[in-house]
Amino acid sequence: MFAGENGLQGDPRLKAISDAIRVVPHFPKPGIMFQDITTLLLDHKAFKDTVDIFVDRYRDMDISVVAGVEARGFLFGPSIALAIGAKFVPLRKPKKLPGEVISEKYVLEYGNDCLEMHVGDVNHGERAIIIDDLVATGGTLSAAITLLERVGAEVVECACVIGLPEFKGKCRLNGKPLYILVEPRQ
Amino acid sequence: MLRRLLLRSPNSISQPLPTSHQLLPPSPKVPFSAWIAAASPAGQPPSSCSHNCRLALRSLRCAAAGGGGTESQPLPNQGMAAQNEKDPRLARISSSIRVIPDFPKKGVLFQDITTLLLDTEAFKDTIDLFVERYKGKGISVVAGIEARGFIFGPPIALAIGAKFVPLRKPNKLPGEVISEEYSLEYGKDVMEMHVGAVQEGERALVIDDLIATGGTLCAAIRLLERVGAHVVECACVIELPELKGRERLGDNPLFILVSG
Repeated sequence: MFAGENGLQGDPRLKAISDAIRVVPHFPKPGIMFQDITTLLLDHKAFKDTVDIFVDRYRDMDISVVAGVEARGFLFGPSIALAIGAKFVPLRKPKKLPGEVISEKYVLEYGNDCLEMHVGDVNHGERAIIIDDLVATGGTLSAAITLLERVGAEVVECACVIGLPEFKGKCRLNGKPLYILVEPRQ
Repeated sequence: MLRRLLLRSPNSISQPLPTSHQLLPPSPKVPFSAWIAAASPAGQPPSSCSHNCRLALRSLRCAAAGGGGTESQPLPNQGMAAQNEKDPRLARISSSIRVIPDFPKKGVLFQDITTLLLDTEAFKDTIDLFVERYKGKGISVVAGIEARGFIFGPPIALAIGAKFVPLRKPNKLPGEVISEEYSLEYGKDVMEMHVGAVQEGERALVIDDLIATGGTLCAAIRLLERVGAHVVECACVIELPELKGRERLGDNPLFILVSG
């Protein structure tokens, strides 16, 4: 679901957020129009509005865990977690987390990758949201959902700044709703 | 074993707080509470960043929007040290950090801040301590070092009205970058920043979770100074004093919350 479809129709903050994102053609390889959120981070108002929109949505949903996917999920997740009184849980590439971890493999266009979470970070029954900057195929987010469900958490929603248009409407990922602020720009 | 709680001022002549402090018992939420004095490996040969930094464009200053603190003066620490000596928030922050022995290799005592992030009060206090120090000081840039600097930097930037600039490993930033090579214990690494992210004369902070040898922070300072910014201070949650990172920073001020 896009924010503009539900509750934030015509909200000028969404356009400003979209405009603040830079498109870098052919990165990391030809044909890909990379959605660069670093320019959003340079626009204090737009960055603050991004965080505020998520905070307003999740503040009263009894969320105790904000899980952020390395590394760009780390840019948004902690501020949201702090504002809603939840803990922040980093989901990382292999061998970065120093303690005991659980791992979940996922498929890339070519090959596999793996996402890890510290054992003990999240408890059974906790309500969690997952944050990343962008959702494309949903492979990374699916792995994140699985990690949290393996420890018995309830994934309430996945939240991304940018998402492909196919995630409009009631589209779900592994049965979980998505909440997205803007579409990719060309 | 007691851990020293330090709140270091930016003045190079200031001394650490003189005595170790009685610490609160570790929070029951934190599974590991073994505190061992860090028997750290020998630091690498000093390659002070102060020399390079003096060559940088220190003459470029700016009376940044928002006033507070003139260009060349360090941040005032009067009252800060006295206040923070007794600041009860530091004990909880310190006790929420988990130490993991032999990671990433034998002999290293890894300071794991992920447990701090699970303690909502301690995490909030961590950010508040930095925000209290830097708000209203005309700082327009918070530069955070990948990846754990990305966790602390943005909340600080948002609270003080600054932009956040990620400093990343090679080939992660999609646009045009400037690169700075720096030494590791074995070999070299490279740090990158987007061209155009920071303007000449801006006042900047550099944020990371921890300072060890200071190599990474020095590279960050060099990147910012190369584009004409003034690095007001480096701020970390944790310092490993035996690795002499503070010395390596030379004249560049360092502010830390706890000592590992």
